[in-house]
Formats: sequence, structure tokens, C-alpha cells
Amino acid sequence: MVINVKNLVKRYGDLIALDHFNLEVQEGEVLGLLGPNGSGKTTAINCILSLLKYDKGTIDIFDQPMTPDAYHLKRDIGIVMQNVAVFNELTVYENIDYFCGLYISDKQTRKKLVAEAIDFVGLNDFSKFYPKKLSGGLLRRLNIACGIAHQPKLIILDEPTVAVDPQSRNNILEGIQKLNQQGATIIYTSHYMEEVEQIASRIAIMDKGKIIAMGTNEELKKMIKSGEHINLELLNPGDLDLAGINALPHIISAERRDHQLVIKSERGKNNLIPILDHLKDQQIAIGKIYSEPPTLNDVFLEITGKELRD
Amino acid sequence: MFLFNYRYRLKCILRDRELMFWTLMFPILLATLFNLAFSNITSAEEFVKVKVAVVENEDLDANPAFSEALDDTTDIFEVTYTTRANADELLTNNQIDGYIVFDPDLNLVVNRSGLNQTIIRGFLDDFLQSSATIVTVITKNSTALDQGILAGITNRTEYLRAVSASNSNPDPVVNYFYALIAMTCLYGGFLGVKEVVAIQADLSDVGARINLAPTNKLSVLISSMLAATTVQLVELLILLAFVIGVLGISFGDQLGYVALTCVVGSLTGVTFGACVGVIVKKGEGLKTGILIGSTMTMCFLAGMMFADMKYIIATKIPILGYLNPANLITDSFYALYYYNTHTQFFTNILLLCGFTILFSAITYFVLRRQKYASL
Repeated sequence: MVINVKNLVKRYGDLIALDHFNLEVQEGEVLGLLGPNGSGKTTAINCILSLLKYDKGTIDIFDQPMTPDAYHLKRDIGIVMQNVAVFNELTVYENIDYFCGLYISDKQTRKKLVAEAIDFVGLNDFSKFYPKKLSGGLLRRLNIACGIAHQPKLIILDEPTVAVDPQSRNNILEGIQKLNQQGATIIYTSHYMEEVEQIASRIAIMDKGKIIAMGTNEELKKMIKSGEHINLELLNPGDLDLAGINALPHIISAERRDHQLVIKSERGKNNLIPILDHLKDQQIAIGKIYSEPPTLNDVFLEITGKELRD
Repeated sequence: MFLFNYRYRLKCILRDRELMFWTLMFPILLATLFNLAFSNITSAEEFVKVKVAVVENEDLDANPAFSEALDDTTDIFEVTYTTRANADELLTNNQIDGYIVFDPDLNLVVNRSGLNQTIIRGFLDDFLQSSATIVTVITKNSTALDQGILAGITNRTEYLRAVSASNSNPDPVVNYFYALIAMTCLYGGFLGVKEVVAIQADLSDVGARINLAPTNKLSVLISSMLAATTVQLVELLILLAFVIGVLGISFGDQLGYVALTCVVGSLTGVTFGACVGVIVKKGEGLKTGILIGSTMTMCFLAGMMFADMKYIIATKIPILGYLNPANLITDSFYALYYYNTHTQFFTNILLLCGFTILFSAITYFVLRRQKYASL
């Protein structure tokens, strides 16, 4: 097992940041750690990496206890931090070389690894640039290169796409998938559910310092009652009988948003026909109809009663 | 790892333009301003010769002894021989302080009273007194001339002699420059703060990244501090070369000991900054503010803004002088320049070493923890 965390408790005074947090990460997987801001994702990562003191619990990495001076374990870990952690006085190449040099002492090996990292994040044309000259997206790519240049077996990425443009975000996500294909085990923390859905083979949802649900994307969505979202565009919604729709069987909720009718229904039922019949009876004309599967936000909403982005 | 980190830290420090300005360019600028300000003070104190005119006429020709006596006063008087009319005009235009005329007796004409007029008057009184003495002696003893008695009349014997108690003559200006060097040493604290912030996970993101790497933190700390001290020392030597070579300020001839003071002073400054960096838990701005405030206070007490302050502290609260690194650095240069022995110098150097060890120990004990309570 790559990571095994048991009963981790971390307090800041009266505030419990991690409340008997448990986590298991298997070799070769991409674990998405999803949760709203302040749910304890970064605290959990910092404890796992032995940066933060914790009050209780055990942390094993590669089946060995993780301690601040477990250099043999640290050698195989790469971290991409939430904030860009580079030296403004060093060029792109020098930054990557410096952080790679903290792991790899052989100059020739390091030269090769740095070149590969620059190539991997697509910063070849910017290797002599100073960080201040880079855009936000390029800076994030540099941040990633500094964390992975030494080609670690375990890579932890803590919200690496915050404040990044869509193009750079896609680039970063594709890069992470590529690293995983090359054999790295990955922990990816984010509060963007779409990103986690896109790259994670398994997802852990966090709230208030503990994991409240864990499984594959499909497994998580099966945990909740909500089966699909039916969206109907109403051409003459004036006389809509919302209470009548809510009273239909297998309907969880119906909500009108201007000309849109958004209905959440239970899983595995043929719910569309009774809804259409009901609207036909009320002589309401329908423009477009489309259906969506539930999102991770629905999972979070159903478990905690609040939105993931709250 | 040690040299790898050392090399990169040197690059980081040298490329930090703001830091290089405050630790190198600012002291050079300040030294230049000091020199401009103090050179005017010294020039104001220089003796300016008294301008005096002597009216050429037959009576003057009849008193060759007077002209001879005046020829011996070239260090005091700038003499112009002219006509009476011209002398009057020069006096009216304040181009001379007074003029001397035989009419037929010796007269001094001035248009105001002051130091220069008193000097001319003093010379004339002395001449008249000596002349009268010679006349009296010859009148009473006609053989006096042959006996050589008259030769001693114009001789003046000083019964007091000025003996310098130090290697060099007292110069109040040099202390300002010594305090400036002390300030530069303590400005090495900026470098100390930078290095500590760079390796502390709770102070910077790069610090967190370094803490996650499989490297010995103490080794990284020592090589970083060494890089900071190297830069600080080179900056200090550039400043010294400028102050001695360009501005002409004397640091005596014991350059080996001057260099030793610079090395110890740099170490004290860098470790002082590191200590402030680890003790103050707030942002880098506050750390820098505290560093500047404490450095300037120490330099003030060492006499950088008011030279007598050093003396006041030494006489009223001597313990404060020994607890002030800036004063110890200033005093080391002072001792090398003035004193014949090295007792005071080595006392200062030992105290500075003590401060360096104290600051280093505090820094180490705060930094040695490997996990943080919060980030």
C-alpha cells in the first residue's frame, strides 16, 4: 500500500481540523480528494507529509512509518503545493534544477531529469525566463515541474489548478494522467468536482475533517437516491402546477427557474413519461428536453445537506 | 548538497536587487554623503592666513628690522606692500584685515575689531617690545652685541609640549564612518532574514518544499548562512575599499585586524537577522521593520547620528556599550586607530563572537524542530 492513514486527529485549539481521518491509497491509482474549502484537505496532506504535528493517529507511506527524517521515503515523494513555491531570483531551469537537486545529487542525471520535466510541462521556450515574467498558467506548470522533476513514485498535488485558465488547466490535467500512466501513484486534492471526476480512479469526499464518502465516480453516485436531472424548457410556464409535479411518484424535487423546469428523480425509474403527461394535461408546451446524470455535488449535497462549493 | 545549496543561495542573494541596494549601494551612498557633509566641517576649521598690507615709504625703509621680522611670519600673514592710498582702498573693500604704516611711528589701521586684527596687533606689540628691549640692553651694555646676549631676546621657548596618547591624532569625523561600517555589518541581518525565511515551512512556500525534500535541514541552514555571510563580507570589503581608497578615511595601518573586525561583524549581523527571522512569527515586512529599527537604534547609540552619544553611553551607562553590537564594531575600529594596545580591540571582538554564538544558538533551537504546529 502506498499510503495508509489511520485515525488521524489534528486540532487547532478548539477547532478539529482532522477528525479521525482514515485513508488508504493503492499503488498506481489516482485518488481524488474532494471537499469544500476548509474541509481539511491541505491539513491532511501536510500531516501525511510530516510537515504538521498531529494529535493522534498513524501514517505509513510505502508500508513504513512516515517521519520528518524518513529521507528514504521522502526521496520517492513529489509534492505540488497549492501556492506556487519557486524562487523569483532563479530562472525556470534553475528553479527546477534546484528543487530536483534536493533529491538527485548526480549532475548528469539531474540534467536529464530537468530537461524531461521542462519538456513534460511544455516550458521549453521559457527555460531562461524568471518566474515574474510567466503568466499564471505557466507559473503553475513550473510549480508542477519543480515537484515532479525527480520522478517520484508518489505525487501529491494540492489544488494545482487554482486560478489557472482553462487551456492550462486541461494541459495540467492531461499531464497528471500521463504521470499516472508512467507508473506514479497520485493524490489530487481539489474543490473542483469536474476535475476530480475527469482524472480520479477513486474519489474521497471530505467534510469537516473526515472522509464522508469514498469510491469510484459511479460508486459514489450510486450511494444517493437522486438518479437523474431532467431539464425541460417550458414555452408557456405561466400556469405550471409545480406541486402536482412534486407529487408525482419517484420525483425527489421539482424547481422552476424562469422558463426552465429542473426535476430530480430517483434512480432506475422511467420518470419522464408521467412528467410529460402531466405537462400535456396542463397544456404547457415544451421546447427542449435533456437529462443529466447526478454530479458529485449531488452526492455531497445529499450527504451533508449543503453545496460542495459553499 | 552543501555546495549545491551554497551556490544557488549566492545566486538568489546576488540577484535580489532590493536587497543588494540596501546592503551595498545604500551604505556607499551614505558614506559619500557623510564625506560631503564632514569635509565642509573640516575646511571651516582650517586656519586662513591674515591678510595685511604694509605701506611702502621712507620710514619703512629706515626700519629694515621690521621687514625682516615680517618675513618670518609667512605662516600667519599674507603680506602686500603697497601705497597708503591703495591700502586704504583695500581696507575699505575688506580685501585686507588691516594695514601697517610707519608715520613715523609704527601704526596699525583697521576698520573693525576681530580675531585677525588682534593677531596683527599681537605681532606688532611683540615687535615693539623686542625692539625696546634690544635698545635698552645696548644702551646699558654696549658689549652685549658681541656677547651674543641679544640673540636670545627674540627667541621664544615653549615650556608645554603636546604629547599624543594614541597612535593617531584625534579625528571626530572617523567615528561616523566607523558607525556606518557597523550599520552595514548589521544590515547583513537582511540576508539572515532572507535565508531563514527561505527554509522555514511556516514562513514561505519554498521553505515547505525544502522541508519535504530528503535533505538535512541543518546542512541547508549552514550553507545558506555561509552564502549570506560571503555576500555580506564582499559588500563590506567593497565599502571599506571605497571609504579608504576613494574618500580617504583612515582605518590605521592594521588592515589584518580591520578585516577580522569585518568578518566577525558580518557574522554578527547575519546571525542577528536570522535570529530576528525565527523569533518574530509575523510577516517578512515586520521582521525587516524590526531589523531596521533595532539596527538604527544601535547605530544611534554607537554615535552614527551624533558622535558624542558614544561618549555619553560610555560614561553614563557603560554596560549598554558592551551590549550593543554596533558599538562593539565601532569601538573595535576606534581601538585599532587610536590605541597602542589591543586589549580593548580583542575584548570587543570576543563580545561580538559571543553575540554571534548566542544568535546562532537561538536560531538553531527554534529551527531544529522538524514539524510545525501550523502552516
